Amino acid sequence: MRFTERKNEHLNETYYTAIHESGLKIVICPKEGFNSTYAVIGTNFGSINSTFIHDGKKVTVPAGTAHYLEHKLFESEEGDAFARYAKTGASANAYTSFDVTCYLFSCTERFDESLEILFDLMQSPYFTEETVAKEQGIIGQEIKMYQDNPEWKVMMNLLEAMYVSHPINTDIAGTVDSIAEITPEILYECYNSYYNLHNMILCIAGDVDPEEVLAVADKKLKPAVSVKTESVFPDEPYEVGKKYTEQALPVSVPMFALGYKEKAGGEFATTKEMLTTSILLEAFAGDGSALYRRLIDDKLINGTFGSEYMEGSGYRCVMFDGETKNPKEVAEIINSAVRELHKNGVPEEDFMIAKRSVYGRIARSCDSTFSLASTMINDEFTGRDSLFASEIIAGITLDDVNERLKEQLDPDNCCLSVIKGIAEYSDPQIGNA
Amino acid sequence: MSGFVRKEICEGVAFNSIVDNRFKVGRLGATLITPLSRETAAANALLACVLTRSCKKYPDFTALNRKLNGLYGAALYASSGRMGDFQSITISASGLDDRYSLDGESVQSELAELLCEILFSPRIIDGQFDSEDVEQERRQLLEDIDAEYNDKRAYAINRCIENMCRDELFSIGRGGSREDVAGLTQDKLIKAWKTLLDRSRIEITMLGSADPEKVCGRFENIFVKKPRRMNGSTKIVSAPSEVKRVIETDEISQSKLVMGYRCTYPKTNREIVASQLMSAILGGTPTSKLFLNVREKQSLCYYCASRVDKEKGLLMIDSGVETENIEKTESAVTEQVELMKKGAFTDDELIAAKLAVKNAFVSSLDSLASLQSFFLGNILREDPLSPAEAAEICESITKDEITELAGGIKLDTVFSLVGN
Repeated sequence: MRFTERKNEHLNETYYTAIHESGLKIVICPKEGFNSTYAVIGTNFGSINSTFIHDGKKVTVPAGTAHYLEHKLFESEEGDAFARYAKTGASANAYTSFDVTCYLFSCTERFDESLEILFDLMQSPYFTEETVAKEQGIIGQEIKMYQDNPEWKVMMNLLEAMYVSHPINTDIAGTVDSIAEITPEILYECYNSYYNLHNMILCIAGDVDPEEVLAVADKKLKPAVSVKTESVFPDEPYEVGKKYTEQALPVSVPMFALGYKEKAGGEFATTKEMLTTSILLEAFAGDGSALYRRLIDDKLINGTFGSEYMEGSGYRCVMFDGETKNPKEVAEIINSAVRELHKNGVPEEDFMIAKRSVYGRIARSCDSTFSLASTMINDEFTGRDSLFASEIIAGITLDDVNERLKEQLDPDNCCLSVIKGIAEYSDPQIGNA
Repeated sequence: MSGFVRKEICEGVAFNSIVDNRFKVGRLGATLITPLSRETAAANALLACVLTRSCKKYPDFTALNRKLNGLYGAALYASSGRMGDFQSITISASGLDDRYSLDGESVQSELAELLCEILFSPRIIDGQFDSEDVEQERRQLLEDIDAEYNDKRAYAINRCIENMCRDELFSIGRGGSREDVAGLTQDKLIKAWKTLLDRSRIEITMLGSADPEKVCGRFENIFVKKPRRMNGSTKIVSAPSEVKRVIETDEISQSKLVMGYRCTYPKTNREIVASQLMSAILGGTPTSKLFLNVREKQSLCYYCASRVDKEKGLLMIDSGVETENIEKTESAVTEQVELMKKGAFTDDELIAAKLAVKNAFVSSLDSLASLQSFFLGNILREDPLSPAEAAEICESITKDEITELAGGIKLDTVFSLVGN
């Protein structure tokens, strides 16, 4: 097996890609002179993949199962993977998002040994009544920690209000009640459906030799038979479920998230679409924009203001969020600016500045093995190509941006989520007494 | 793996540079260090925000931000920090390395010029900053202070430290209180600007592939005849009189427990590294005593972690738990701390901590922001550690050195934020 080599000459970055005979796809970005190597392996099983067809059988699992499985995979019959990583010095972790579950480590020495641990942990599920029960308390506290986190809640509440049936409307970790239903059998079912090497990607950024990675893969990976699992998503209407949602939490500065739902199918946005949206959002709401100026001048936002594009299987939305003393006024101003934008398009000068800014962001992300590997694995799951983003962006025109705008930011299809203070705690003077 | 090249411009002002061509960005910063004082902390913090909002050349924040965005999304950062009983104000600029600009412009020299404009040519008219600039930045800083309460984990740790150090300068925090910021006048801001430039200790840091010579020259011209000497020292409390207990209640799902300890102030670089190892063994990794016993064995929490403040001699341990488990968690933490004090840790625990801490030190060599902050975090020391030195020292630290430091751990304050 040989690696395919692809190079971005201008940014001087090269990706090596190969499919190992076990079925695992491997992508490596060598970073000469870097001390730390970052490796991440993932499967396209996230919180939204809660209903799937495997072996001709349709299965629905409790909310939070993907995340629960992530926690439990660290244990094998021989013991805990963290205990093994402790002997190599690697810093290990894992995360579950809406779309994927990823396991990672970063290390500055003994890379091969840590990679062996990562491969072992992927291939040695071990779930018993006892080990599954033990995690209830730990994850229960993780869930409660997020319930107190206003930044998280303002976004989750928004998704819950915007999406009527798509499971993006459900918290990644589930609830204390939903995780109580998780059994070893459910975890094995999910593992067998999604943790198949043909279904997984390994991405590495750091000063490594691709051949060395292959040698470890040869040693550790057991050839797997390809398994096809199909995720099933319910039909989701174009329209937002609700226009407004609010929750009271002990905060001294209220928060808002304004989401614009758009048409989404099963496919992911292309690299060019993603970059075009980045330019659009930077030009429209970046810190040099007229909108930003207006909101600051009116004392409505602060440095926490930002915009984001979220998209995956069956969901796409643009989100603006931040702290504000007056969420409704912010939402009104943004929405009337959106209407103006649709009427007039993006000004040429704003487009030029935004394009340079987004190019800088792309170049900047090559400086961290963490962001590189994260981008690489995200690319693999979405079919995008960030390696050549700097070249693709050069070809994006103002017309492209205005054309893209037509599918985005529908001013009649948005939802406002608000986290407001609890009356007696919303005065910081009392909070600090 | 080299450290910074240091050049003293005059007494109290130094230019520190690392030439490293691995990166696609460059970073330049000025750090102004001054003893923490109730009188000036808030003014210094607000000043940093006002300075990075506009300058004579770019007279409002939209003009300044458009300039930065056009420079391939370059960024300006203003931050106020606390190191022991000192305050540090850092203004940094970071942006694309010249090799990657599209039209051949030198982003790095533009950023150097911009940083100088911001520090030395702010928009002062008739002896005053623009009042709109001041009011806007004051509002945002107040919101920033208020928002600390939104993050309950950080809020609980801050409240514990405030109670613990209430009679010490340290409790002023990184930029004074809400009331201090609200009460600031133009005069105080102007005075803060002049005093910081004329009297504070200044550390300029430049990292990236650009040649430091020219940039150093700019700062030399300005500071060469302006020596200064910073006085002051940090008050170290080694033996708290009695354990303080503070309980607050709030409408939260998860209660927070923070245990604040005083510990031996690490005087030497070896002791600094040893104190990091001590914290790693106790609660710094997924195989630490707190993680294994409080989380994994007893399933009491999702996180239970320790961290050391080496400049103030503090050890903070915090966790998020069910209200009915607060006492149980406190006992579980105390049990592990007592074991640590007795030196009850195995060679395996020590080796694991060394590997983890060394990994963190060496990893910080891969980011300009980490290199800068590691350097500044040790700048109050006579012989500041570099990550490479720290990693080397780490290897030879003995169990006895750690046990001796751990012997000095004493509980000072227990803070709980209890859910209703």
